[in-house]
Amino acid sequence: MQFQDAVKLSIEKFLDGKMPNKLAELADDGVLYHTPDYFDALEEELLGEPTKKDKEKKDAK
Amino acid sequence: MRNSSPIPGANLLSDTRNYAWHRPPDIVDYDEAVSYLISKVDDPFQSQMVMAMLDIDAQISTIVSTLLLQAVSTGKMPIDLALLTAGPLARYIEITAKDLGKSYDMGIRNKDEIIITPTLLKQALGIIEQEEDEGEVEEEQVEAPEAPTGGLMGIPDEMIAPVDEQMEMLGGSDIEEEEPEDEL
Repeated sequence: MQFQDAVKLSIEKFLDGKMPNKLAELADDGVLYHTPDYFDALEEELLGEPTKKDKEKKDAK
Repeated sequence: MRNSSPIPGANLLSDTRNYAWHRPPDIVDYDEAVSYLISKVDDPFQSQMVMAMLDIDAQISTIVSTLLLQAVSTGKMPIDLALLTAGPLARYIEITAKDLGKSYDMGIRNKDEIIITPTLLKQALGIIEQEEDEGEVEEEQVEAPEAPTGGLMGIPDEMIAPVDEQMEMLGGSDIEEEEPEDEL
């Protein structure tokens, strides 16, 4: 696998909301700051539009 | 081809201290690495570069891999941490592009896209079923060949040679055991 393919795979997983399980354990206080939820909140704050997850939640209701 | 390959153990003798990625990286923490990359994207010069790449329809994954390779080659972060930060960086560039009203392409595979494999194509064309049918017909037609009878290559009637013939083949009774002579 080439670096470009690995980058694409990593982006795909992150956009699916997946992160390595053990990654949080490496953080100093055990909590990660830059999670998929953080970026969803940032997008909502900057653009003022609901994210994909919010839309899915509304559809589920 | 083989002669051009490096000699095993050559890396242990060469001086690699000049390569930034062979020294301990500056950043080893995930959040710190993401913050560093975001600050790089927010940097006026780098930001112009990213937007210019988006304007020429470069995929976000390509921009991300360029920025990450830059960070790895300067010794800022190890390559595995760079891969972990690819997702957050791509998401940040996506948000920035949306904010500026730029059109963008993430450059990743669409989940709904069906990957056409040779097996799938054969199934769609109905080739697999035909091949299976033909195989079954061929198996039915196969018959065991008859064993040759008579001649040199034929199976002999008796598999065991008679005792006289065996003795003759082994040297038989012609061989006389030599008795040791007394040396004087």
